[in-house]
Amino acid sequence: MRLVRFIGARFWLVALLLAGWQFLSARRILDPLFFPPPTKLGATFAALLLSGELGRGLSATLARTCLGLFAGVVCGGLVSIVLCVSPRLRTAVQPLVSALYSTPRLTMLPMVMLVFGVNEASRLALVALSAGLVIVIQVSDAVRGVSRDYVDLATNYGASRAVIVRRVYLPACLPQIFTALRLCTGRALVLTISIEMMISNDGIGSMIWSSWQSFAIDKLYVSVMLAGVLGLLSGPMFQMIEHRFVPWRSGQA
Amino acid sequence: MRLRCSQLQVTFPTSSGSVPALRDLSFDSREGEFLTFVGPSGCGKTTLLRVLAGLLAPDAGEFERIPGPHDDNPSVLLVSQEHNLFPWMTACANAAFGLEMQGVPRAERDARAGELLARLGCASKERAYPCQLSMGMKQRVAVARCFLSDPAMMLMDEPFAALDCQTRMVLQQELLDLWEQDRKSVVFVTHDVEEAILLSDRILLLSEGPGAVVAEYEVPARRPRRALLEMDGDLWELKQRILGSLRLAAGSVRYACVS
Repeated sequence: MRLVRFIGARFWLVALLLAGWQFLSARRILDPLFFPPPTKLGATFAALLLSGELGRGLSATLARTCLGLFAGVVCGGLVSIVLCVSPRLRTAVQPLVSALYSTPRLTMLPMVMLVFGVNEASRLALVALSAGLVIVIQVSDAVRGVSRDYVDLATNYGASRAVIVRRVYLPACLPQIFTALRLCTGRALVLTISIEMMISNDGIGSMIWSSWQSFAIDKLYVSVMLAGVLGLLSGPMFQMIEHRFVPWRSGQA
Repeated sequence: MRLRCSQLQVTFPTSSGSVPALRDLSFDSREGEFLTFVGPSGCGKTTLLRVLAGLLAPDAGEFERIPGPHDDNPSVLLVSQEHNLFPWMTACANAAFGLEMQGVPRAERDARAGELLARLGCASKERAYPCQLSMGMKQRVAVARCFLSDPAMMLMDEPFAALDCQTRMVLQQELLDLWEQDRKSVVFVTHDVEEAILLSDRILLLSEGPGAVVAEYEVPARRPRRALLEMDGDLWELKQRILGSLRLAAGSVRYACVS
């Protein structure tokens, strides 16, 4: 019952829109060639699923996103640690990071291809760069935001530097680290699909672009909607992980 | 532990020049004494405690910590008004933090923290995070952490100022009960004259910023004390004297500013 209410509260508008679309398309008020009815999209979805094309595209995109994300988070994390240790380096690196951060990531694709070539390495490198930038910016922000009061408190009780890092800085930054992870996962997904549209033979992005090229409109809709659903699912997934690791935040009475 | 402070001076740099927070502050504390500083807001009470806790170096002057004969642990611990607990630790882990820093094994420190929290009426809140605790509960946990560490001296910076009247009375009694067991030296800071009389052996009055000691009072009440201390006779007179001096201490500076 709670599940029904949960889903009902979130998706009644989506259902209403789909029903309206179906009606208008069936009555030919909307041109079914450009706006195929949702039932037809459902059939296309089933066909793509059965043929395995959907699974292949999905797994290619997810693998690329996860791999790029992992590399980016690890590198970004390491850079953040170095920057936290050396404030002088942080000051010098800051304008660089800010400039990179405010440049649309996709515009860097040609440059990345010049370095790595038109291959998987380029695709991963750009996703990793994007994720790494988010991590570096958010983590240094979080570290600077740690209240002096908590550091004083630990110092007063005789905590060593290592203990202060482990028992104060790390947990104090954890909420923002999770926000950063959620943020860069969303971005990585968007970027992966965009890159696939430009330089890839597999993945959802490639499916979208090839359906457009071959005017397979129903397949186009299905792939774009799939991309939307992926983004939709990544949010709650992180919320669940966050509840597990940051109980003091979700435990708000 | 007792303290010997002479000519302490602290100034804070601001955009419009440096502002003195403490000026020529001198006092001595006695072994096992509950010493309270009372003063108008902005008289540098918090600054003084930060200096005594070793978190802030004075710009001039000296202070000396002289350990007593029974001080196995020479630490000086501070209980402040707010941001006392780590939000990411449960009440029990917060209370046991001092023991953790002393290297007490987990099972033992959890047991000792649990015991003291139960005595303070927080047994059901042991596993709660600070965001789930009331202000009174938070301060109980902070006081418990301080007492569990058994420091040579405790510094308390208006620990009950943010509490409502009833809760404050309950916590004052709990503090009295805990403290009167061992009578480790305390330097307490408050702007509440009644609280100062209720808790302390001796009261020092600070002038409005920059802080300096302007008067000293012995509290003639016997121990153990009850939070519902009858404010009659000597104590009532003492309260009136302190209130009078407080008005003077605040006023004199204001007149000085006008002229």
